[in-house]
Amino acid sequence: MTHMVLTVAAILFALGIYGVTTRKNAIGILVSVELMANAVNLNLVAFSQHWGATGQSFALFAIALTVAEVVVGLALVVLLYRTRKNVNIDLASDLRS
Amino acid sequence: MQEQWVSALVFLGLAFSVPLSMLVGAALVRVRAKSNLEAKYDTYECGEEPDGPAWVRFHPRYYIVALVFVLFDVEAAFLFPWALTLRELGTLALVEMFVFVTVLLIGWAYALRKGALSWQ
Amino acid sequence: MMVDLLAPLAADAILVIGALSLLLVDLILPPGEKRILGYGTIGVLLAALISTFALDLSGEAVGGAYEGDALALFFKRGFYVSAILASLASLDFGAKIWPRRQGEYFQLLLYSVLGMSLLAGVRDLLLLAVAFELMGVPLYAMAAFSRKDKLAVEGGLKLYLTGAVSSAVTLYGMSMLFGASGSTNLAEIASAPSSPMLAMGVALTLAGMGFKLGVAPFHMWVPDTYRGSPPPFVVLVAVAPKIAGIAALTRLLLAGDGALLDSVSELLLLLAWFTVIVGNVMALPQDSVRRLLGFSGVGHMGLLLLGLTTGTAEGIAAMLFYVAGYIFTTAGALLVLSAVADEDGNDGLARFAGLSQRSGFLAFAMLVFLLSLGGIPFVVGFWAKLYLFLAAWGAGYQLSVLFIALVGVIGLYYYLRVSRAMYMTEPTVEGPISVDLGTQLAIALCLVFVVGMGLVPQPFVAVAETAASVLR
Repeated sequence: MTHMVLTVAAILFALGIYGVTTRKNAIGILVSVELMANAVNLNLVAFSQHWGATGQSFALFAIALTVAEVVVGLALVVLLYRTRKNVNIDLASDLRS
Repeated sequence: MQEQWVSALVFLGLAFSVPLSMLVGAALVRVRAKSNLEAKYDTYECGEEPDGPAWVRFHPRYYIVALVFVLFDVEAAFLFPWALTLRELGTLALVEMFVFVTVLLIGWAYALRKGALSWQ
Repeated sequence: MMVDLLAPLAADAILVIGALSLLLVDLILPPGEKRILGYGTIGVLLAALISTFALDLSGEAVGGAYEGDALALFFKRGFYVSAILASLASLDFGAKIWPRRQGEYFQLLLYSVLGMSLLAGVRDLLLLAVAFELMGVPLYAMAAFSRKDKLAVEGGLKLYLTGAVSSAVTLYGMSMLFGASGSTNLAEIASAPSSPMLAMGVALTLAGMGFKLGVAPFHMWVPDTYRGSPPPFVVLVAVAPKIAGIAALTRLLLAGDGALLDSVSELLLLLAWFTVIVGNVMALPQDSVRRLLGFSGVGHMGLLLLGLTTGTAEGIAAMLFYVAGYIFTTAGALLVLSAVADEDGNDGLARFAGLSQRSGFLAFAMLVFLLSLGGIPFVVGFWAKLYLFLAAWGAGYQLSVLFIALVGVIGLYYYLRVSRAMYMTEPTVEGPISVDLGTQLAIALCLVFVVGMGLVPQPFVAVAETAASVLR
């Protein structure tokens, strides 16, 4: 059972990485990051079947951390839209030398 | 064992009869719309006439409220395990949670003062 | 009871209470008087710095998740000092560019420093995760603090995206560390029987932290964020979080008997080589001096990784001394840069042309910092490199030392390029440069330490050795 959950988590994580690397829309990237974070939570909860409640409380902290991060990210995406009128990150490349 | 099932049956009967009686009662007294069928299919908005389609973009002003909500929502999740284990953990946990909530309150006061929660 | 429990965290408590009271003060302060908050922030940081000397911060706290030892104190002082330098530079800049939002800027700075400060003595995976995130999240917001500036927002978003992905990777690695060992205590994780999952966990955690450190191949955000963000913020982000990343890696890899370090030492060495190459080679064609310093900072991270890889007391001590030198040298160079860059943040070599004629002090200070970055004798950078190479040589990493020293020679070229522009070309922009008092003070402080540690390195080395002796 644990194995299957871990596999699902690994697939979720891989999907997240795929999304992060291929998406052009900043919101899409944020969604992919969230996918990766949820893989972490799934992992932690699966491990807590073996090791007790520590994993669950770790998952709780992981959720809070991710949310704090994503909130800042969404605010940044709004700023990106305000300064450039789109959220395509490939177009935000003025800093390349 | 038997008595429990009997009480469950009574409860089930009540649960069905109350809404049924309400529906029947409403059917007896309500006004039947014979014309103006279009209005019948309108979105129900507390008796107000709906204005425009529901599938609209929200005002971006809303996003700060949303962000603040998400943050406090997640922080509240820490209260549940705390409440479950408070008896075993004792006074220290109580004090700690008060410190935690105080910090959150300061954050809330900041959001309020900076106008993040006001619709303007 | 509660007080006993938290005594080793007194410095961090000062930061928390200071930050929250400054937040409340900010709420009642009229918009025209926000400048006080900057002074308040420096006061809080100074109080925390003094408390590391005046109070006894040793012992365990929060159920063994944190332990205040000599190493923790060393890192804490480093964070506080670099935060003070960055705040000094932000005082006038903030009052000019974002007068109404100075409070928020310094708030975020204090929270970020709090996260770093907790990382210094972390003994538990959970606290490591929380502190790491507490350090990172405020930085994303600060990077894009000039919110109408296209470049700043872009730099901030790049920092954010790499940071968010890296923290997801780190957390995934941590979940595997927990899964393989069944504990969140770092020492217990280190003593867990080795398994593929444990190795995978360490590698993923390492990769995630590598992003924060700006280690190649995870360095892409470094030059862009340096170039786009407000200059005083760059003084912070180029120094403190990187040192904090090193602190976290040291704590994680050298926990217990250091079994985790042994399992990844080849990988670390590979990263060190690659980082040194990328940092030094990519710096060559840069015109923006900030991008140049960014890549050079990447190169320095490679050297720090070499020190960490040795895992010996001498290696770690040399790494710590290098860290101390890096703080003052890099902060100093970026402080000079924030004074020289124009309103739009342009900092091409042309801005540095003939700097000696426009401001003798700035040019001299920059020259000293560049010499130190390049490792020329009698400034701190020379001793730092020397000790590091000697320690690594002694630990059996001769080939790496030779290779990294050779690549470092490339670095001399671009440091000399900036120096040549400052002293041997005519200025393209006329008129003396006016530098605000805070930045001047910060530059002078860096100068004193860079030269002082270069002339009498022994006392600082002794401190670094004491700090390193708590490991293994």
